[in-house]
Amino acid sequence: MTKKRKFKKGVIPKLLILLIIFIVIILGVVFVIRKINSLKLKEFTKTLNYMDTVIDIKLYSNNENQANTIIGEIEKIYKHYHELTDRYNSYEGINNVYTINHTNDASKLKIDQDLYNILDYSVNWYYKSNGLFNINIGLLTDLWKGYRDKKEGIPTDEELFKIAGLDIKRVVLYDDNTILTGDVNLDLGGIAKGYATEVVHHYLQSINFDHYLINVGGTVLAGVNSDGGKYTVGIQDPDNANGIIKDGKKELKLNLSNCIVTSSGGYERFYEYDGQRYHHIIDPNTKMPANYMKSVSVITNDAMLGDALSTTLFLMSVEDGQEYIKQFPSVEAIWYTNDNKVVKSSGIKKYE
Amino acid sequence: MNKSDIKLIIIILIIAIIVLFVIAIIGNDTSKSALVYYDNNLVLSIDLTDKSEQEYIVNGYNGPVKIIKKDGKIKVEEEDSPLHLCSRQGFIEKSYESIVCLPNKIVIKIVSSKQEELDTVVR
Repeated sequence: MTKKRKFKKGVIPKLLILLIIFIVIILGVVFVIRKINSLKLKEFTKTLNYMDTVIDIKLYSNNENQANTIIGEIEKIYKHYHELTDRYNSYEGINNVYTINHTNDASKLKIDQDLYNILDYSVNWYYKSNGLFNINIGLLTDLWKGYRDKKEGIPTDEELFKIAGLDIKRVVLYDDNTILTGDVNLDLGGIAKGYATEVVHHYLQSINFDHYLINVGGTVLAGVNSDGGKYTVGIQDPDNANGIIKDGKKELKLNLSNCIVTSSGGYERFYEYDGQRYHHIIDPNTKMPANYMKSVSVITNDAMLGDALSTTLFLMSVEDGQEYIKQFPSVEAIWYTNDNKVVKSSGIKKYE
Repeated sequence: MNKSDIKLIIIILIIAIIVLFVIAIIGNDTSKSALVYYDNNLVLSIDLTDKSEQEYIVNGYNGPVKIIKKDGKIKVEEEDSPLHLCSRQGFIEKSYESIVCLPNKIVIKIVSSKQEELDTVVR
């Protein structure tokens, strides 16, 4: 008996101690793993459908209420600008682009301050772009859209010749937030998404929120990722809906944080007729879809500038564009030429 | 403590580490699925981890939208829209890819636990 007891006294407590050590180690490690996981920010996503495009919102936060509030605010902004800039539908209680285009008598129409600001910004861009960026080309937009919807034929020379009154001087804005109607047909397709996205950008900055990635058709607004680092962003291949453009044989991938990439190209809305592709970005000078390149992308800190600038660059040759962007020191650009070559501005290196 | 005690401690530590590795591997699930939205509401979730071929029909704005799953990829086979952009797009499988059919108000997104080489694509 005494021998047995001695045996128990010696070995079992030792085993117990080892068991406890074992359990403590396991629990400790599990605790540490949990802790690391809880420190990792959670992903919140939402897909919206405004401005004739899909808006993908991705936020990283450890506060679900905060994330949902932010997503709600972002949705409000896009909805607001969607309604203001819609040229195909009217909304109750709002004088929007549809109202402006469909008011046939010459009168002063009161518009929302935000719409007024977009129009003012766009008219200024007409002059900055030497007339290439023109919001008063609604008549041309409609003519081409008619053919695009039918997917057959192109406007005749006569039809194109008859289109007149695209002069930006017809867009008259008064200081009391009114616009002169009767003589304008606006199309804000080249600026609305970028403008709204910049409003979202300002909102996110105002609340000091950094962890976001928002994709709005041709515009990507990137903050920082869940680790506070950069996002890897590709540029859609105009000839392959599931691919990204290649620089030589290598896929072009950009490492970006706290900036905006905006692309303009003829691959989003187009139709093919007689072996030719006819897309939606119309050159106001030739009245035809611009054909200088397959796409152009700009990296900026301002989504409004990015949208207006990428549209403008798409309407001039690559060479002219390279010269043109020199007046915007912090802007970089990537052209994808008609023969599938990548042309980069000098500062793109730092994003690769 | 004698030599055998130390041996025992080492053995237990090794077991503990192995158990942790097993937990880490099992915990790291490789889930991947396609989420189908109609007018921003999730209407269908399709598991893409198995490679089987399957057909799904969801109701779009213009009528039925036929979706096909194959080899862990997904595509829209048939839908009614003016340009048929989404059925012409073909298969997608990466989390940064999506199929969008605006006329039908249908959006298909891929969610994957795997880290992709791209976060998003400027369209």
